[in-house]
Amino acid sequence: MTQSIPDEELMGQVRNGVGEMLGQLFERYQSPLFNFYLKLTGDRSVSEDLVQEVFLRILKYRHSYHPETPFRAWMYQIARNARVDHFRKKRPETALEPEMAPAVVPNDLTQEQQEADLLHRALLELTEDKREVLVLSRFQGLKYEQIAEVMECEVNTVKVRVHRALHDLREIYQAMERGQLLRNPRTKVKGQRPSSGSLQ
Amino acid sequence: MKCEDVSHLMPDYLQGELPSQQAAVVEQHIAECSECAADAAMWKQLAALPEEQPGPSLKPRFEAMLASYQEGRWEKENLHKERNKFLGLGAIVQWVRTPSLSIAWAAVLLIAGFFAGHYFDRGKTNDPQIAGLHQELQSMRQLVVLSMLQQQSASERLQAVSYSLRQPGADPKVLDALLHTLRYDNSVDVRLAALDALSRYGGRSDIRKGLVDALEQQQSPLVQVALIDVLVELHDSNAIEPLKRFQQDPKLDPSVRKRADWGIQQLS
Repeated sequence: MTQSIPDEELMGQVRNGVGEMLGQLFERYQSPLFNFYLKLTGDRSVSEDLVQEVFLRILKYRHSYHPETPFRAWMYQIARNARVDHFRKKRPETALEPEMAPAVVPNDLTQEQQEADLLHRALLELTEDKREVLVLSRFQGLKYEQIAEVMECEVNTVKVRVHRALHDLREIYQAMERGQLLRNPRTKVKGQRPSSGSLQ
Repeated sequence: MKCEDVSHLMPDYLQGELPSQQAAVVEQHIAECSECAADAAMWKQLAALPEEQPGPSLKPRFEAMLASYQEGRWEKENLHKERNKFLGLGAIVQWVRTPSLSIAWAAVLLIAGFFAGHYFDRGKTNDPQIAGLHQELQSMRQLVVLSMLQQQSASERLQAVSYSLRQPGADPKVLDALLHTLRYDNSVDVRLAALDALSRYGGRSDIRKGLVDALEQQQSPLVQVALIDVLVELHDSNAIEPLKRFQQDPKLDPSVRKRADWGIQQLS
């Protein structure tokens, strides 16, 4: 494995026209990006499309990468934009989907699976900006400084958002556990689909 | 200590990045405050969300994208070099394109046009002559597009496709050639460009039929998906039957099958 070559160096080569190096970056980030999108959208096929889109954009906009600046922050910026663009295009049809998703957790799951499923549903009930900042900080291994770079805001703003997002998530989760949200799902988060099959 | 006093420490505490002295402050607060304790517990509980693996089709799709991209780019660079070598016009073209000069050129052309119009008007040149010139120009363009579509190099064929878009109205021969390109061109990029060009004429039923027919012959999942998307955008319900047949193909890429599913749903 060539894990030792830093991302920035690989991307520098891609920038200079050595497209093959993108393959190594793909190996490193296809899974993190896929999980990033899956947590945000709850939809496997959309997530795969978006991962593909990110790498296409990396090639297309490779000249906008400044060598020696952190690659991951740049990549997640692209990833965010790709998602925003995707749902801007698809909004009319996906906005209907939350209602079609089953409102109860299937019974044949193990307890851990049920817990994960409930968590993911709670996550999908968060507003988009809160969900995003929480996923970036909790799952993508980005430090608050890096998230601030990705979101182009102050580090303190990121910290405040993370804390609020966590607080909201906890309230939603607890309400779901009590069964309140299952009877009356909040479907205001457009363009997202609560996962029905992705976590099994 | 109140929750507000701890809240600005909490995010760093959760990431384990607080110096031990401050961490102790947070922990002491958590021991007393059930709200904050529950928030911190939620953070830990998120670990229950499993790491998922993307499907097996993702990597081949990426590799196909990379390959077609490199093919296209490589040829474009070569073409650029050759053009400069043979014509030596690159620098002049650049010079002419600079903004200040563009304005000057525009002014010169405007004045020249004015005088030319004046002159022609006096010479009683009538409409049929101009119409004749127009027609000649059209057929020249058509000829250029048709011959360029036959070129060896994929990037020249790409240029031909984009050149075809400059024609006002739809020339049946050019549309035929584009449909042929969409079906048989061996570069994915050129096929995608042809599809893009053709989608502008989606109002015509013969073009829509051509697109549906092309779908059944495509091998590349990228083009298949793009075709499905275009057909859905055109809201052509005639595409449902062919899509259903197409979907029956056992060799079909799973992500394409999904897209076809989606397409049928959208159209019906």
